[in-house]
Amino acid sequence: MSHVTIEGLSKKYGGNPPATAVDNLSLQIEEGEFLVLLGPSGCGKTTTLRCLAGLEVPDSGRIAFGGKSVFDAAHGIDLAPDKRSIGMVFQSYALWPHMTVRKNVEYPLKVRGLKQGLTENWVEETVKLVDCERLLDRYPAQLSGGQQQRVALARGLVARPQLVLFDEPLSNLDARLRDLVRSQLHELHARLGFTAVFVTHDQTEALALGDRLAIMRSGVIEQLDTAQRVFEQPATEYVAGFIGMNNRLVLEHSEGGWTCDGVAAQGNIPELAGAPRWMAARLRIEDLMVGPANEGAPADAVSFSATVVDAAFAGRQYDVVVTVGNTRFQGRAPSDGPLARNGQLVAGAPAQVWFRPSNAVFYGQQGERIASQG
Amino acid sequence: MTTLQPGSSGGLTRELPKPRLGPWIARRIPLLLFLAALAYLVLLPLVRLQALAFEDDFRGFRVAYSAAGMAKTIWNTVGLALGSLVIAMIFGTLLAWWASQLSPRMRWLRALPVLPIVIPAVANVSGWAFLLSPRPGYLNALLRMLPWWSNLDTGPVEVYSLLWIVLITGFSLTAFIYLFVSTGLQNINSEIIEASRVSGASALETFFRITLPLLRPVMLYGGGVALLLGLGQFTAPLLLGTNTGVRVMTTDMYTAVTSAPTDFATAAAVGTPLLVFGMLLVMVQRLLLGDQARFVTHGGKAFRLAGKPSATAALGIIVFAVITTGFPMVSLLILSLSSYWSPRVSISRMTLDNFQQIFRESGIVSAVTNSITVSLMAVCISLLIGFIVACVLVRGQRVPILRTLLDIIVAMPLGVPAVIFGAGFLFAYSRPPVVLYGSWWVLVVVYVTLMLPFTTRMQLSGMLALGKSYMEASRVSGAGFVKTELFITLPLMRSTLGGAAALMFVLLTHEFTASVLVRSPHNQVMGTVLFDYWGNGSYPLVAAIAITMTLVTALGVLMAMLIGGRDVLNKL
Repeated sequence: MSHVTIEGLSKKYGGNPPATAVDNLSLQIEEGEFLVLLGPSGCGKTTTLRCLAGLEVPDSGRIAFGGKSVFDAAHGIDLAPDKRSIGMVFQSYALWPHMTVRKNVEYPLKVRGLKQGLTENWVEETVKLVDCERLLDRYPAQLSGGQQQRVALARGLVARPQLVLFDEPLSNLDARLRDLVRSQLHELHARLGFTAVFVTHDQTEALALGDRLAIMRSGVIEQLDTAQRVFEQPATEYVAGFIGMNNRLVLEHSEGGWTCDGVAAQGNIPELAGAPRWMAARLRIEDLMVGPANEGAPADAVSFSATVVDAAFAGRQYDVVVTVGNTRFQGRAPSDGPLARNGQLVAGAPAQVWFRPSNAVFYGQQGERIASQG
Repeated sequence: MTTLQPGSSGGLTRELPKPRLGPWIARRIPLLLFLAALAYLVLLPLVRLQALAFEDDFRGFRVAYSAAGMAKTIWNTVGLALGSLVIAMIFGTLLAWWASQLSPRMRWLRALPVLPIVIPAVANVSGWAFLLSPRPGYLNALLRMLPWWSNLDTGPVEVYSLLWIVLITGFSLTAFIYLFVSTGLQNINSEIIEASRVSGASALETFFRITLPLLRPVMLYGGGVALLLGLGQFTAPLLLGTNTGVRVMTTDMYTAVTSAPTDFATAAAVGTPLLVFGMLLVMVQRLLLGDQARFVTHGGKAFRLAGKPSATAALGIIVFAVITTGFPMVSLLILSLSSYWSPRVSISRMTLDNFQQIFRESGIVSAVTNSITVSLMAVCISLLIGFIVACVLVRGQRVPILRTLLDIIVAMPLGVPAVIFGAGFLFAYSRPPVVLYGSWWVLVVVYVTLMLPFTTRMQLSGMLALGKSYMEASRVSGAGFVKTELFITLPLMRSTLGGAAALMFVLLTHEFTASVLVRSPHNQVMGTVLFDYWGNGSYPLVAAIAITMTLVTALGVLMAMLIGGRDVLNKL
């Protein structure tokens, strides 16, 4: 079993002032689970991964694989990377240029002394899984980026480790190849059922691959939940921003009702717990619609009058930048909608933006989520 | 169930045990021993020698600095250092700029300005003397055929003068500046240059406003190295200045140590300012450069020719190489084939007698074999030490203090003039506890010490270029530290190691300065026998030895290029 436990993990980097990379982080990973660490650069996700691998030494805390400590600051335990039974796929692939693909993939079996793996042809088996069996006698320099990536994957999996670590493995691939390798990886995980920790800063990648997502910020986990729940109900405004809710409407309640940057809201904003006078609504671009001024908003929507700044054609719809008061928002207008048809998607044209409150998530001043009442 | 448990773990509140000193030291014993051995190697000779200067109430200093002519000596030293620095900076930068302007077919010319490093200094200096000695110098004789000098019996050039010592030293230091600036140029992204051109600046304007400012760090660094080498310059002043009384501090040290009665205390006192200045310069460079790991660079387009290739550039490089390297080499060749040194050269009377004679004289033959075996030994030891040091410097994050100490100790020989090392080793190893004087081990020990900065630098840059991820990939694949170094690092470093070995072999086979101090009558190397024959006035033999030395060195260079690739010389 490979229940990974992280308890109170902390890591500071020297320097002036010292930077806290990971701050008292605790986390449990189930056997066979695919956990994604998601966050912007510098949030501590790679450091966490490297601590799991044993490539960085944490300052405090405990890491256990299957109940056995591999790192424990309190007891002075720090197992070297080669004693941890892990596989790892690096961002730069790190295929050894002086060895053929076969030698590269074989290496973990050889240095670990896994005779069984060598006699039972684990190398061929794994290479077949990643579709590289014809490349065995080539050198890494003779492979394309995608091929190198798949060989690196094979090398990480060949010794059937308890835990496979991925350090942004797809970020060096071009967009089309990235989608392809991503779906292959997803399939491979479903088939082999290894436990995985995957570091990325790409939310699409995270949502597609992760059983659960840990969104990190300054060395702390902001939210740890299934992909669906992270997507639907970001726990904090930071998570909302990171997961694609890019529109931030600051709403203030005064005598005349709710306003956004001085512009009065039309329609009903739901009653929220604690009846706040101030909140920030977070919305995805596709949930903010742009329509003609004073018409077309559904009855259950909230709308504001707005001004068009710019519009870019994107197939079925236009991506539109508008201002409400002085705040800029990004929204969508259907290509066959009245604005587009009448040529009103030009700078300075009057418009209206609207959204359904059920698509928005509301946050308080500290970035905490405000639940709707009832 | 899986949950996020902020702060709920017991591991946090548990009290951390006090750090235990015993195991901490035990785990580091091998490294501590290694560091101690290196410190002993580098520091002991320096400390023991310098201590002498302070004995008897500073007697060494009083004798040295009250001597008549000491002020002149100091001026000569400073003049030599600054004068040769200026020459080297101008020509080095110019040559590097020219080298970047060559058409692809002329690229091979880029190797020419490096030749002065590769050609033995004793050979080069004696070559100049044979060219420009006032009476029999070949070039002087030619110049006297010109109408306005036809009335002269000697001259017009006096090579045994400070001016020419400065010029010859400057020419040889040019190679160092050239290497530094060339590397600097190659590290400049060509798009930066192109951006300036498309913004409307001419090639010349771009050079002065963009390229030169970007080169400032390398020029400072290279200039520092050249200044140190100029201050510690020994070969040219010794060979050219001794008879005409042009003295510098290094030759004063040599005289104090080698002429009876030997006076190490005075020699040490003369060396003190050089030592202090050198140490300071190395420290400042360390500080300015900071952590080596920051210099791992990725990608970027290499420096590319902006505009069309320049014929002037090719011509300039050729002319410079012919004058500074070709001329002295040709004069050596002519003299080595003549039976005596006379300005009247006759091709028909040329003979191979000199070469036959040097292979008959057992002293010379044994010096040649000595040079080669001692150099090879030293190269092997240096490679091993350098590999270990580089490993610790790159991967020693857990031992920051030991790592810094190690870094300082291996960098030190760069700041210490070889004369001081030579005198220090002579003193330290000719008396207990370890007596090596008289055996060739003393040469091996000196050579290894002198090579410490080179072997470390070259292997360090090789390892830094490899990056960490190959080794990390091996560790997480299950290989331990030793297996990783053996299966991954070593094979990947093969060309670096080969190149480093060959280059160190080249540098060591023509080592003269330290060798001439620690040698004993039956324990010579090529440079020192050459010097002895120079003293005897057997000039045709000197020329033949110089040519032999150059050939041995050329063999080393060939090896270096075969193993390390054609750009291997740039790794210096």
